[in-house]
Amino acid sequence: MENNDSNKQEMWQFGGREVLVSIIGAALFVVLDVATSFAHIPSVHGVTFRPAVIIPMICGVIFGPWVGLLSGLAGKIMGDLVTEQGFWPWWGLGYGLMGWLPGLIWFSLRNYRRAGEILKIEGLLVLGAGVGIGLASISEIWVSHISLAETVKTYFLPEFLSNIVTGLVLVPVLLIGSWVVIAKRLR
Amino acid sequence: MLVTWRYRKRKSLIQSFDPRAWLIFYLCYVGCTVIFWDLRFLAVLLAMALITVFTSGIKWHEMARAWLFIGGFILFFSFLTFLTGRGGVELYKIEHSYFKIVLPLHIFNWIPTLNFTWERTFYALSMLVRVFSLASMTILIPYSLDPALYGITFRGLGLPDKIAYAMDLTMRFIPTFGRDFTLTMDAQRARGYEIEKLSGGLVAQVRKLAPLVVPVTIHAIAGSEDIIDAMDLRAFGIGPRTWLDRLDYHRRDYALITFGIALFLVSISISMFGVGKFWIPAGLF
Repeated sequence: MENNDSNKQEMWQFGGREVLVSIIGAALFVVLDVATSFAHIPSVHGVTFRPAVIIPMICGVIFGPWVGLLSGLAGKIMGDLVTEQGFWPWWGLGYGLMGWLPGLIWFSLRNYRRAGEILKIEGLLVLGAGVGIGLASISEIWVSHISLAETVKTYFLPEFLSNIVTGLVLVPVLLIGSWVVIAKRLR
Repeated sequence: MLVTWRYRKRKSLIQSFDPRAWLIFYLCYVGCTVIFWDLRFLAVLLAMALITVFTSGIKWHEMARAWLFIGGFILFFSFLTFLTGRGGVELYKIEHSYFKIVLPLHIFNWIPTLNFTWERTFYALSMLVRVFSLASMTILIPYSLDPALYGITFRGLGLPDKIAYAMDLTMRFIPTFGRDFTLTMDAQRARGYEIEKLSGGLVAQVRKLAPLVVPVTIHAIAGSEDIIDAMDLRAFGIGPRTWLDRLDYHRRDYALITFGIALFLVSISISMFGVGKFWIPAGLF
């Protein structure tokens, strides 16, 4: 199973197929968000532990950056609306970036079961989470009018740490577990 | 687990308008609120938001959870701002104290002091009113906008077809994946998995949720190929999408859009002349 270099162009395609996968990713994000909304990070107000964060990550790695972006963006916004937490477009964009960045290595991936590739993916998951949550946290400076120190302490650190732990533990498990599906699609 | 929408058809001010008109007005309203720091202007905008909330037809018990969550959040940060004055230094340079609490202790030559000033008080009040106005208008959206019309509403606002039907179809798939999640949870429970007993640190909680999250995700990825093939066979996405529902503007929708745009343009214009900046009543100090 190979993704060769000529797939670089294919990585940036956003046709009907990619839209449909994004839709499925976003819907799955909402369902997992609602179903696990009981799991809170203790003593941190307004920040929940979200296993649903793995959805944009895995969509980006398997299907490309645009699918990762849209599944995170739409999923987060709709998840917040369904769980009555308001409308936070910057957080939607942050979660979208958590799917977009890991998707950037889509064209270079050869075999999801190899340790080297898993490590590459994990590295990009950390980068994606840092950039995505960083952007969303910084937006609180002008949305909620709090200082940079407060936003780092209240938003960035709890969300970043919980999201990368979730991603680093569950994404490799999902990649290896869905190997059969991926191999069939790329045959 | 049933994922249900909070929307109900109600006789209300907000639902009497076309959803597109309401969204345009909402965006203009957000723009106006963000422009001003003057408590007098913000009070007018808050009044508009409260009128919309009280005429929305939504009962308190339907919205209680959302209000308690967002209200608690707003009050917490406003109180923090009142105590610390952080964020306000860009709006005022000099502060006038009206009350001071000095604690009778020293911590490395620092005496803890709480200084209540008029500037901090009015800044915190302005922030509270501002964020509360935005939250009030935003909370109403999921209760008042029909989820079945999300797609056609966004298409009508000029968003590309793909984004519009993506929103529409996401709503359609949510109950399906909710059902799959419930089936997986029941199957795992039958094998002795206890979701109620999630405890431990972050890594332990992630590992304990894996038996629930992993099968649902893999099932969705596997199923997605079949869904995509089925839709491709029905020529989905080949041409512009047609919609079952149709939205038409009425005179009141045009009036609302005109009012919203006018309000936004007037707000920008007067703010350019320095009107609407941070304000404290004269004669306080």
